[in-house]
Order: sequence, then C-alpha cells, then structure tokens
Amino acid sequence: MHARVLVVLAMRNLRRQLRRTLLTASAMIIGGGLLIFSLSFGDGSHEQWIDSGVRLGTGHVTVERPEFRLRRRIDDRLPAEVRRRVEEAFASPEIAPYVVATSSKLSINGLASSAAGARPAQIMAVDPVQESAFGMLDERVVEGRYLEPDDRLAAFVGAEMVESLELRLGSRLVVQAQDAEGEIAGQLLRVVGTFASGVPEVDRALMHIPLTTAGEWLGSQQDVTNVGVLLDGSAATARVADRLERVLADPVARGEARVMRWREADPALAAAVAIDDFGNYLVQGFLFTIIAFGIVNTVLMSVMHRHREFGVLQALGLTPGQTGTVVLIEGFTLTAVSGFLGVGLGLLCTWYFLGDGLDLTAMMENLDEMTFSGVAVDPVIVPLFTARRIVQVLVFILVVGAMASIYPALRASRIDVTEAMKFDR
Amino acid sequence: MKESPWPRIGWRNLGRNRKRTTLTALGLGVGYFACVFVVGWSEGIMAELVENATSLVTGQIEIHDAEYRPDRSLYDTIGGREGADVEALLRAIDADEAVVASAPRVYAGGLVSSGEATSAGVFLGVDPAREVALTRFLDPLVEGALPVAGRYEVVIGEEMGRQLSVGVGAELVLVGAGADGSMANDLYTVAGIYRTGLVEFDASTVVMPIGDLQELVVLGPDRIHEIAVATAEPDLAADAARRLSGVLEVPARPIVVASWAELNPVLEEYVALAQSFYWIIIVIVFAVAAFGIANTMLMATFERRREFAVMLALGSTPRAVMGIVVSEALAIGAVSLAGSAAVTFPLMAWLYSAPPSLEWLYGNVTLQGALLTPTLRVGYNVPAWTWASVGLLVTALFSALYPAARAARIPPADTLSGL
Repeated sequence: MHARVLVVLAMRNLRRQLRRTLLTASAMIIGGGLLIFSLSFGDGSHEQWIDSGVRLGTGHVTVERPEFRLRRRIDDRLPAEVRRRVEEAFASPEIAPYVVATSSKLSINGLASSAAGARPAQIMAVDPVQESAFGMLDERVVEGRYLEPDDRLAAFVGAEMVESLELRLGSRLVVQAQDAEGEIAGQLLRVVGTFASGVPEVDRALMHIPLTTAGEWLGSQQDVTNVGVLLDGSAATARVADRLERVLADPVARGEARVMRWREADPALAAAVAIDDFGNYLVQGFLFTIIAFGIVNTVLMSVMHRHREFGVLQALGLTPGQTGTVVLIEGFTLTAVSGFLGVGLGLLCTWYFLGDGLDLTAMMENLDEMTFSGVAVDPVIVPLFTARRIVQVLVFILVVGAMASIYPALRASRIDVTEAMKFDR
Repeated sequence: MKESPWPRIGWRNLGRNRKRTTLTALGLGVGYFACVFVVGWSEGIMAELVENATSLVTGQIEIHDAEYRPDRSLYDTIGGREGADVEALLRAIDADEAVVASAPRVYAGGLVSSGEATSAGVFLGVDPAREVALTRFLDPLVEGALPVAGRYEVVIGEEMGRQLSVGVGAELVLVGAGADGSMANDLYTVAGIYRTGLVEFDASTVVMPIGDLQELVVLGPDRIHEIAVATAEPDLAADAARRLSGVLEVPARPIVVASWAELNPVLEEYVALAQSFYWIIIVIVFAVAAFGIANTMLMATFERRREFAVMLALGSTPRAVMGIVVSEALAIGAVSLAGSAAVTFPLMAWLYSAPPSLEWLYGNVTLQGALLTPTLRVGYNVPAWTWASVGLLVTALFSALYPAARAARIPPADTLSGL
C-alpha cells in the first residue's frame, strides 16, 4: 500500500515537470542509442575478424600437441587415438549443433623455390573437400582453381608468392622441409591455382597442398598436426572447448594433446578485439559519466525546488526514508524509461543495417586492403545483436540511474521539516 | 567608458549556488577531459604505428632497383649486374639535411637448420654499425652481441631460436641458392638473439654482416638490394625521398626512392582517417553534455523567476537579463575549462613521458603490418585540443541561449504579484 503511494507520487512529479523530464530523458535516450549502436557494430566487426582469422588458421577451437605452437615441427603430430576421439566428439550431440565444418591439417614451415629464388613458405596439407567447407581461400581464387580430391603434387599458392617466385598457372616449384625422419626432403609441385586473401603476410607465405601428397613427401602418411573446428559463432567457443577438454582428459594429462581456443591460438587477434573494445568502453564510459552528472544535477535541483513540498509530505507523516524513496523512484524511473527507449532507438537504427551491413568504403579508399593483426578488415560491417550484450547495456543504464539518484534522495530525506515549512518566500 | 556590468553579475551568480555550478562544470569538464584524452591516446597509437612501421626494422625511405619490388628477386640489385658504388651512394644520401642514417642491405631466402630441426628463413645482410643507427631491432639485443664480419656469425629472432631450440653459441647451417646458380651453404654461429615483437619476422629472419651474405649467395661487394634511410621525423620522409631521387644516380639501371607512405599507403591513409574522426568525438561528447547544461540552466532560470522579474521591474532591459544568463554560462564554461585543463594536461604530460603498460588488457597487435605494443601512450595534438576548448565554450554558450530567452520574456508584474 505505502509502496504504491510512493510510486504514484514519483510518477506524478515526473509528469508535472514534463519539459525537465523530457530534456533529461533526451540525453539518456541519445546515450543509450549510441551505446547499443556502437556496441552492436563493434561486436559485429569483431565477429567478422574472428571468423576470417579462424578460417585462415585453425578454427575456433583446435586440438594439437602442446609443443606444436612453439616449434611448428613435423614431429609434433597428433596421435591417431587423439584424432579419433576428437572427431567422435565433434559428431556428439553436445557439440554437433554448433559445428559448421571441421578440418584436419598438417601444418609445417618449409622453403619454396623456383628458378627465380627461394622464399619461406607456410605449408598446409589439407583434405581438399573438408578444407573448402572450412576455410575461405577457395572463395578467393585469383587464377586457376582450388585443390580437388584426386589432385596429386598440386599446390594452391598465395598470389604474392607466385609473383615473387615468378610462377604461372601450371608452373613447377620445389618445396623443401624436414620430413618425419628428420632429413630434409624436397618435392616437386605444380601450381593449380592462386589466391589473394587480402592479408599480405598470408599471400606471401601460405600454400595449400593435398594431405596425401604431403604424406608421401614427408613420410607422415595421413597424420595431421591440428584438428580444428569452425563453429556457428565465437560465442560457442568456450562450451565446445570445455567439452573437448573433458573428452581428452587423459591425453591432455599425458601431454599428448592440448585444446586451444582461438584466443590462445591467435593472441594477436584476441588483442585486436580487446583494444577495440577497450577504446569503445572508454568513450562510452566518459559519455555516461557526463549523462550521470546531468541526471544528478536535474534530480538534485528538483529536490531543492520542492523543499517545501517534501516538508509538507514529512509533516503529513512520511518518514525521511520514504521521502528519499520517492526521489529515488523518480530518478530511477526517469533513467530506466529513457534508457530503455534509447536502447530501443539504437536497436531500430542498427536493425536497418542488419541485412546489407554498413559500407564504410566511402571513408577510406583503401580500407578494404587494411589488415589488423593478420586479418583483412571487411569494409562492410554487419552489426551483431546478442541477448547478453543487450542485458549488459540495460543493467549498466539502471546502475547509472540508481547511482545518480542516490545523492539527491539522501538530500531529500535530510530535510528539516520546520525550516522547510516556513513562509519565507 | 563604463564597462558592462553583466559579466560581473553573471560571475557572481555562480557563487550563489555553488553545488549547481560545480555539477554543471563537472559535466563539461569530464567532456573536455574525454575529448583531450581520446584524441591524445589515438595520436599516441598513430605515432607508435608510424614509428614502428618506419624505424623498427625498416627505414622511413627505401631505395631499390626499379625492378626489385614487388618480386624481390635476388638478381635485381641496385645497378643491376654491374652493381653500384655503394659508398658513393651512402655519402650522397647522408649529405641530405633531413637524413640521420642510412644503411645498405642484401636479402636472400633459404633454409636454416640446427641439426635436429630445420626452418625456412630470410637472410638479411646488414652493416651492423650503420644498421643500429637506422633501426631499433638490433639494439638492444635480447641476448649476445652483434655479428662480426668474417667470423661466420649471425643474429636470429627469438621465435626462430625457440622453433629450432637454439641459443647463443649454437651452430646453424644456412642453405640457399647462389646468384650463379650454385647451391650455397655454410656453417654459422649464433652470436645474438633479437626480438621485434613481429612474430613472423622473428621466426624467419636471420641477420648477418652484409659481406658474409654476399659471399654466401655469390654476389659481389657492390651488389646490394636496398638502401634504407632514416629521416629525423617520419613527416620529412616524402620531401627527402623527392630530393634524393633527384640527386642519386646509378649508371646502368633506374632506381626507385620510396618514402614509407608510398611503401605502406594504407597505413598512411588510416592515420589520416583516424585524425579526421577527432571532430566527431568532440561533437558527440559535447552534444550529450549540452543536454545536461541546457536543462540545468533552464531550471535555474525558473527558480530565479522572481529575481529576474525584480531586475526587469527596476528598469533592466530584457537584453540585460539575457546578458546575465549567457555570461553565467560562459563563466561556468571558463571555470570548467580551467579546472579540467589543470587536471588533464599534467596527466597527459605524465602519460606522454611515462606511458603505463596495458599488458594486463591486451597483447601486441599489428595494424597493416606495423607493430603496436600494449602501452597507454599519448601524443600531443594541439589543434584538436584547441577545438575541444572551443567546443566546450560554444556548448556552454549554446545551451544558455534558450534559457536566456525565456528569462528575458518573464512578465515582471505577474511574477511579482504571484507572491
């Protein structure tokens, strides 16, 4: 009963000072809108970076030997038992719904040479069918085609390496690397296709060859160094990785395998996401501090203004606590309603870009050539909404509103009734 | 001539309600701090990116044979097969006023083997004494010393050392293809370990004295692939490159003198783009701040209806009332500007001279191949900061206009009779 009266009082006060309410609300609405807008575009572009990063690399989650990341040697191949267990786990009902594609590959460093010279090469031996579903290089063909299942001695090579070794489609090149026996082994390959990923470091060094060719060349048969999985979104990473860790508890304990999340496998990419988020949080933090000052000021002034009103209320029997509660409800309702409106507005504005994304090419001529921590930046950003993000924003707005109303509410509760009721005006 | 009294009255009114003044000024001040800090941080990032793109492992200007880029063929040395008088070229480059250092380089590709492990590498031949004046990555080394010419010594990246499981004193076999078509290989000792933070570079580049590499790949001493040049400031590179391409002459074949902006146009564009965003930040921050101030000023005006009515009744013109309200707003602006500048600039100076580490937050990132380390480094951008100050005062002024107009239109008789 009492609570209801307090709420009614607070609501009426807001309505009586409509202009003030609206002005304070507009700052909050703009702030809430900006917050949702920039966070969904931030999250959207991060998801794009992560997606292109993990598809060029080893997936959202990858299983490999613990030493592999450090030394990248052919000795660090996954035991067949581990590989079988991982593949079973991918097909299990706990993980399967999140899986878009999987890829098992042998990844080593070698030297590629032609008559024109020699270049370090990152050689990925893949199953052509699996990899064309997993990676994106098959969509980035410049000339020729991607690897096919019965290809032998074929190489799908980065455009810059092709240029620097003066190769053409159909030309031959020699790759050299350490084989399973520890000897240096050479292999003649033929260029069947070239790609441009948009990342110069990748186009300069990466080549895909069939896993069968690598097995014969290096004496490693069908062995691989990584088994990776591409998920339907980075959000599922932790769940899938935890599950894999449980399935692989024994080999992990024996030091035969390690489950790597994309953040560990590609720390530079994780850092790129972190620095971008940090900048965004910083600016939003400043904006909401300014908005909070505006709210404190408005609510506080309205408390001062209504000195007599609160005096009368307390004289009629409201306790100081109840008087403060009225103010608290007022400030809280003002921020909550306007904040939620702002979030709605932000969602609406962002919604417009959901289909085609926001094309930033107009801002910078060569934006599509830019790379950030080894990932090509897509100039078309498609925003991403997640329930978690929206809840975070709403909670944040409520906390700001509550904090901004505390001091004015305290002031209102500390009114000296007799002083306030004096006819001194 | 009698001075207008309104600014003085406006100023005095600030003291009449200190709490309100403080809160309004704080809102503006935080906005100002936000603008200065965000612009400064972004400037710091841009400065570090450009510095690392131009002085970590490359110079601000690179000179090549016209055919060398992008293929980077072993044979496309400056001056072609005949080579060039390297000493004379370096003398001519060093004579330029903007140049602080220059160094010749030779590149080759090959395999690096430690016995148990083999990795592919890029061999970089440098003049160690000239190189440390030009770039930062060899000075200081993580471990060991610079290689000495003629002693078959090399310096390798930390990442390569880890991949090959070798340290200082270990022996490496370098295998490559000679310019005469022969198979080139020799045994070298690791004299030192460097670290740039660029993982790919650290995993693949073997640095050795230029003469030793020329001997390995059978190139004459006057055949080099590149001269890297450092200017005092990255901004000077474009002009210096233009001057050098006029001065330098190689008889046999054309050469190209390119500044970092030509070598990495995307990075240069990105820096320009980031800088063009500063005004958007300033506008957004102060637009949000404006609502708070407009609101406060408006409420203050209602609260002081009687005060203004008395002034009007005593003969003040509506214009004078407006003048007071606007002066008050400007005074709040001035106070908050002075206050926040007093906090902001010492902080910026501190961040500038001793940037704190942000390693707890994120690791190294690369943007367009340029390294960015996790430090909260700031740069100075006086024009943008000046605009932020102007933005603060303009916001204060604009937010006061409507409340001032309202105050001027108060009906004195009605208001005073409403006792």
